[in-house]
Amino acid sequence: MPTPEQLRKLRYLSDTVLYAEAVTFIRRLVNDEDCSTLPASQVMGLLNIANASSYAELESFIKHQRERNWPASKSSIKTFYTELEKVFSAMRKRITGEFELVEPGANGKAANQETEEVMVLLARDFIQHLIAENGLLAVEKAQERARRR
Amino acid sequence: MNREMQIIREVNIEAENFYKDAIELGDHAAHVLTRAHRSQMTGLENIADTALKTSDILDYIKRQTTRFSYWQKSFPKPGQPTTSFGERLKDYLEKNLRERRDVLCSDKRLGISDKTYEDRYLRLHVYLLLIRQFIRQMVVQYEYRVTFPEDKKGA
Repeated sequence: MPTPEQLRKLRYLSDTVLYAEAVTFIRRLVNDEDCSTLPASQVMGLLNIANASSYAELESFIKHQRERNWPASKSSIKTFYTELEKVFSAMRKRITGEFELVEPGANGKAANQETEEVMVLLARDFIQHLIAENGLLAVEKAQERARRR
Repeated sequence: MNREMQIIREVNIEAENFYKDAIELGDHAAHVLTRAHRSQMTGLENIADTALKTSDILDYIKRQTTRFSYWQKSFPKPGQPTTSFGERLKDYLEKNLRERRDVLCSDKRLGISDKTYEDRYLRLHVYLLLIRQFIRQMVVQYEYRVTFPEDKKGA
């Protein structure tokens, strides 16, 4: 279980790093890469998995969603999970480096477990932030469509 | 005076400076939410009072703006911005209050740098207190305005 000091730092990182990165992440996909916003069914599924599972289970869900054979009309979902996997893969490395959440060089079962526990908390917050922004983007896009009509 | 008392004092002084803005946002809230959606304001105040992260408050505002069309309405009053209530509130907390936090933490006021993690946590704490104060003021104005609508004043 993360220590009170780790939790304090996680909160700080969530406010100062993850929030801005999650907003940039989803805005880049929707505005620059022409992806659709994430549909409600995916939002619910991702939130449920993120809040109830271990990081290994969340990782496996993301991989499964990425590998699914999505129809062309839902190719944005595949892009979303492909990019999310990359973000989390990079974030895992930042835990011991930039974020200074776990001592670098620590090995063994206990160290791995500590990294997993910290990683799921980072991932949950990132997902919470990106889903909140995804909702706003969906409203913006709907308003744009209504104005054009 | 100890550090926490200094922070509370400075946040209260700053609250006097943004009072006018809180009144405007409170009036905007009263116009779009009306008395019928009072729970939106009490819910927001509860989140602000209990949140340990500023991003939890901002995410809550985004969620409500997504879910409820009344959060998406602007305030058709001369001189008011055309943005929706949710967007206006989020932008104010994210931009204006963050700038005020920076001024408050400067050497001339509280002198809280961002060199150590302890200082950075303290800066976030100040930011959270500013958001709570602002939302409290805004909700009071909302309550006042739905009870005494402007167009009926003096009637």
